Amino acid sequence: MSDEAAPRQSFTDKHRKVLLGFLAVAMFIAAWQAAFLFVPFNKLFISKPDLIWNALIDLIVSGDLLRDLAVSAAPFLYGFSAAVIVGVPLGVVMGWRAPVRYTLDPIMTIFYASPLVALAPLVIVFFGVGVSGKAIIIFVLSVFPFIFNAQAGVRAIDPLLINVVRSLGGSERDLYLKVLIPGVLPYIVAGARIAVGRGLIGILVGEFFAASEGIGYAIARFGDLFALDKMFACILAIMVIAVVLTEGIRWAERAAFPWRVGQ
Amino acid sequence: MTDTRALKANIAAASDLDAPARSLWHRLEPPILGISGILVLLLLWEALPRIITMNAGTKLFFTTPSQIVGTLWRLFSTGAIWTPLGVSASGFALGLALAIVVGIPLGVLIGRSRTLNAMLDPFVTAFNATPRLVFLPLVMLWFGLGLWTKVVIVFVGAVFPLLINTYEGVRNADKTLINVVRSFGASEWDVARLVVVPNAMPYIIAGLRLAIGRAVLGVVVAEFFGSESGLGVMMVQAAGRYQVDVVFSGLIVFAALSLAMTALVQMLEARLSRWRPQQAGGE
Repeated sequence: MSDEAAPRQSFTDKHRKVLLGFLAVAMFIAAWQAAFLFVPFNKLFISKPDLIWNALIDLIVSGDLLRDLAVSAAPFLYGFSAAVIVGVPLGVVMGWRAPVRYTLDPIMTIFYASPLVALAPLVIVFFGVGVSGKAIIIFVLSVFPFIFNAQAGVRAIDPLLINVVRSLGGSERDLYLKVLIPGVLPYIVAGARIAVGRGLIGILVGEFFAASEGIGYAIARFGDLFALDKMFACILAIMVIAVVLTEGIRWAERAAFPWRVGQ
Repeated sequence: MTDTRALKANIAAASDLDAPARSLWHRLEPPILGISGILVLLLLWEALPRIITMNAGTKLFFTTPSQIVGTLWRLFSTGAIWTPLGVSASGFALGLALAIVVGIPLGVLIGRSRTLNAMLDPFVTAFNATPRLVFLPLVMLWFGLGLWTKVVIVFVGAVFPLLINTYEGVRNADKTLINVVRSFGASEWDVARLVVVPNAMPYIIAGLRLAIGRAVLGVVVAEFFGSESGLGVMMVQAAGRYQVDVVFSGLIVFAALSLAMTALVQMLEARLSRWRPQQAGGE
C-alpha cells in the first residue's frame, strides 16, 4: 500500500527506523567503550563492551552458557506447560459458564493482585532448590495471564456466531471447533506473551535464592566473584532470549491472526 | 430520599410483574457466589488440618487463616511491622516517583519525535522484554544493600509501562487539534501542555496502574536479595524460621498496599477526566 503511494522512496527513507535503531545501538556501544579512555576503568564495578564480547564468546565456546541455559529451561518448560494445561481450560470454563465465573473471579483477582513472588521463599524451603521448586514458582506466576486471557477471549465471542451455528443445526462439537477455539486462540497467544515474561522472573527468583546451576545462579555467582564481564554476558544472553521470545510470539500473532492486528 | 427510592423500586417491581424474583437473583448472584467462593476456600483451608492428619514435617509448613489473622493483629498491635513497612514504603515511593518524573516526559518526547523514537526503540523493547531482576546483582554491586538498590529496581520496573503507555497516548492524539493549536502560534511546549498530555491522560493512568504492580514486585524481589531491612527481608527470615503465618501476613500487607495504590489511582483518574466530554462508546 505504501509502496504504491511513494514508489521512489530511497533505501534510507524506507528503512529509516531500522537504520536509526542500529545507529543508536552502535553509538551507545561506542560511547560505552570510549568513555573509559577518559575515566579510569575499575574492573570490579563496570565492564567494557570488548571484554563482555570476549567473555560471551568464552562462555559459548566452553559450553558453560548453554549448560546453564539448559538447566534453567527444564523447570521453565514444566512450569509453563502446566500453566497452559491448567490456565486455559479454567479460563474457558470461567468465560463459558457465568456461575463459575462469579464464584472464581474474585479469588483469582485477589491472587493476581498480590505479589505472589513473595511466596517464593516458602516454595523453595518446602520443595527444595531443584527442578520442582522452580517449576512451581514459574507455574504460579505464569498461570494467571492464561486464565484471564482465555476468559476474556470466550467473553469476547460474538453471541451472534453461536446463534448462527445453532440455527444452522451445528452440534456442540461444531460450536467448540468453529467458534470457541478460533475466538479464544488469539487471546491465549497474547496471554502467553505476558506469561513468558513472568515465567522468566520466576526462573530468576528461584535461582537467585538457592540453586547450584542455571542462568540465574550464574549471574548471581559472577556478581559475587566481581567477574563483571561474564555477568554482563549472561545478562545479555537473558535479554536476547527475552526479546526473541516476546517478539517471536508477537510475530506469530501477526502471522497467524492477521485480523486482530492493532488490538 | 430512601423512601422515594424504595417506592420507585416497588413500582418498578410491580410493573415488571413476571420476573421480579429472577432479576433480584440476577443482581445478587455475582456477589453471593463470589463471596461464598472465597468463604468456602477459607473454610476448607481452616479445616484441612482437622480433616487429614499431617505428619510433623508438613505441619511445620502449614498455617491456617485464623493463625494468619492473629499474626497480622499481633504485628500491628505491637507495632513490630511499622519499621519494615516504612522502609519498604519509602523505597516504593521514591522509585515510583522517579519513574513518573522520567517516564512521562520521555514518553511524550519519543511520541512527538520520530527520530528519537527510532533511536530509542531498540533499548525500550529490549529492557521492557527483559525481566528487571537480571540487573539486581549488578545494581547491588553499584548501590549496596541499602535503600538505593531498592529504588533503582523499583524505578527500572515501573518506568517502562509508564513510558510505553505515554508514548501510545501521545501517538493517538488528534492531529486536527494539534494543527489548530499550531495555527494559533503554539510552540511545541504548548502543544504538549494543551493537547498531547491531556489527551494521553487515560493511557498514562493505565500505565501508572501497571507501574504500581511492577513497583510492588520490585520492592519484594529487591528486599529478598539485596536489602538489610524491610517487609521482604522480614518474610525471607520468617520463611527460614518456618514462620509461615508471618510470610502470609507480609504477602497480605503487600497485596493491600498494591490494592490501596490502585484505588488511589482510580480516584485520580476520576478527578483528572472530569473535563472530558462523555463519549457514547467510551474508549
